[in-house]
Amino acid sequence: MNILLVEDDDAVAEFIGAELVRAGCGLTRCDNGDQGYATACNETFDVWVVDRMLPGRDGLTLIRDLRQAGKTTPVLVLSALGEVDDRVQGLHSGADDYLAKPFSMDELLARLQVLHRRATSSSEVATSLQVADMVMDLLQQRVVRDGQLIPLQPREYKLLEYLMRHAGQVVTRAMLLQHVWGYNFDPQTNVIDVHISRLRQKIDKDFATPLLATVRGAGYRLGAGED
Amino acid sequence: MQAHKVISSLTFRYIARYLLVLSATVFLVVVGMYSIYSYNYFSELSQSIVDEEETLQLIYDGQGLPGVRQYVEDQGKISIADHFYYLVTDVEGTKLAGDLPQASAYREFDGGWLGFELALLEWGESVDVEFLAREVALGEDYRVVVARSFEQAVAQGRLVLHTLVRTMLVTIVLGLVGGYFAAARSLQRFEWLGREMSRIVRGDPSQRIDADAEKGQVRELAGVINRMLDQIEALMHGVRSVSDNIAHDLRTPLARLRNQLSQLAHDLSEQDANRVEDLIADCDALLASFNAVLRISALEAGSRFSGETEVDLGQLLRDVVELYEPLAQEKSIDLQLATLPSAHCLGEADLLFQLFANVLDNAIKYTPASGLVSVSLERNSARAGHRIVIADSGPGISAEHWKDVFRRFYRVEPSRSALPGHGLGLSMAQAIAHYHGGTVDLEDNQPGLRVLIELA
Repeated sequence: MNILLVEDDDAVAEFIGAELVRAGCGLTRCDNGDQGYATACNETFDVWVVDRMLPGRDGLTLIRDLRQAGKTTPVLVLSALGEVDDRVQGLHSGADDYLAKPFSMDELLARLQVLHRRATSSSEVATSLQVADMVMDLLQQRVVRDGQLIPLQPREYKLLEYLMRHAGQVVTRAMLLQHVWGYNFDPQTNVIDVHISRLRQKIDKDFATPLLATVRGAGYRLGAGED
Repeated sequence: MQAHKVISSLTFRYIARYLLVLSATVFLVVVGMYSIYSYNYFSELSQSIVDEEETLQLIYDGQGLPGVRQYVEDQGKISIADHFYYLVTDVEGTKLAGDLPQASAYREFDGGWLGFELALLEWGESVDVEFLAREVALGEDYRVVVARSFEQAVAQGRLVLHTLVRTMLVTIVLGLVGGYFAAARSLQRFEWLGREMSRIVRGDPSQRIDADAEKGQVRELAGVINRMLDQIEALMHGVRSVSDNIAHDLRTPLARLRNQLSQLAHDLSEQDANRVEDLIADCDALLASFNAVLRISALEAGSRFSGETEVDLGQLLRDVVELYEPLAQEKSIDLQLATLPSAHCLGEADLLFQLFANVLDNAIKYTPASGLVSVSLERNSARAGHRIVIADSGPGISAEHWKDVFRRFYRVEPSRSALPGHGLGLSMAQAIAHYHGGTVDLEDNQPGLRVLIELA
């Protein structure tokens, strides 16, 4: 994965950069908005990671300008502001995802992979999803594993659908809350874990190989890991 | 206004004390003057008796006993109220002349002076009258008692005393009534000040006492209090920004530590990795606390929500309850929801979700197994808004802690060690409610806790 990091804070850039390189990503870094714009226009990247506050051209303006210039590369916005409506503003200006500092590297990597996969996956509309011996029929909204129909509640279905769409990738709790429940918030307890364990009861309990794994400190992964 | 409060007020006590001192002073002055008057009166009275005895002596020297008898009879016929009374006896005590009875119950004083009471007919009625008298020898064979009533002085004294007592009573009563109203008025002003202050302390510390309509000391006092509030607010702000700075500055090194631990865990054996994972979980909890503190500060420092997005509160509550339903089921808690078909308010859905989730999370956490948690949405017509009540059947929180639990990191004692949590949930809930122009209040659910969330 080839990443452009536009971040003015050297300490943060160095830290993120080192972690991304360790995770096997290609990295180019710019320390101001104007340089970031020029680099993004001239080179091709899989994902841009843009800080909200930048000298020169600020992060949101940079994204808006790039979108107006016809660039469609997925963007993840980083923000240290911790301000309430940052996320909304960020998404309005054309960002694809948003992460408030500080974040765990696992959260960042998980989100970058999702963005990258979304951009590279075929745009044709799938009618079914498959992970190992489990198949989800998106039209009839049915899940069958090893020939056995698995009855699911609507929310469990949505949860499984999201996990299946991101099979093999680490999905964080925040991502699940955001995409399955539609709210971006910070639960005080691991309320998500209870939902996951219920889902696990249905899809894994009666089968030899468990599909839904917990990745400690990060989140969950359905199916075998990609790496 | 309650009377006992006025009476025990400082102003009233001061006025009462002043009245007491004033009355005592007046009383002492009058008693002093009365003593002087009495002394002079009795001096004159006794002098007149001595003079009269000298007259009798002269008469006796010139005319003997018959002259004295004649004189005494003549004097008895004078019809003035205040005349002398006489008793002439021989040495054995046998009455020879005079209008006093022979054997009166005398009280003897120094210098041959006597005092007695005698019933006299006055206006046809028998009245006990006080007399001052003196007995002297008349030649060698006779004795004479000359008495004069001092009833007049006693009556005058009584009149003066009565007048004085009545005047003083009226003064005291009027003074107390006036003092009561003066004290009530000043108490009213001070109670107003007190109410204003507690309103500010309880509610929004950035408010000030509006004392433009006040005069004098109350206005001065209000000014001083306002300046004090300015300082308190500045200090509070300072403390908060210090804690914010700490949280902010520690986040980056902590995140780095966490990520390095995470890298370390990859390279370790499974057993060691598990121990590192526990450290990572601790880091995550710390980071979550720091993030929550900074979010609360951002909410409190920022301006109120001014967006146009409308939130369907019913749907939002259904989503929150649905998210927490499995958690409740795990503890066999009956989670009930009562919503309204269309209840919209302006706000940010993510934040309101966070608010309800925090409160519901607490409710489920503190309710024992097989308990009851209910979420209900009502229209609050008085405030033209909505009220969300989240009630549980847990141990509740005693009223003395109701204010404290909204403070950052405050946790009621038993749960501090027993249950996980960073003590920021209700602070965050309140910050979000305030951000939306609403409030969060606590009530006793008997048993359990009721959390009342008012939204515009």
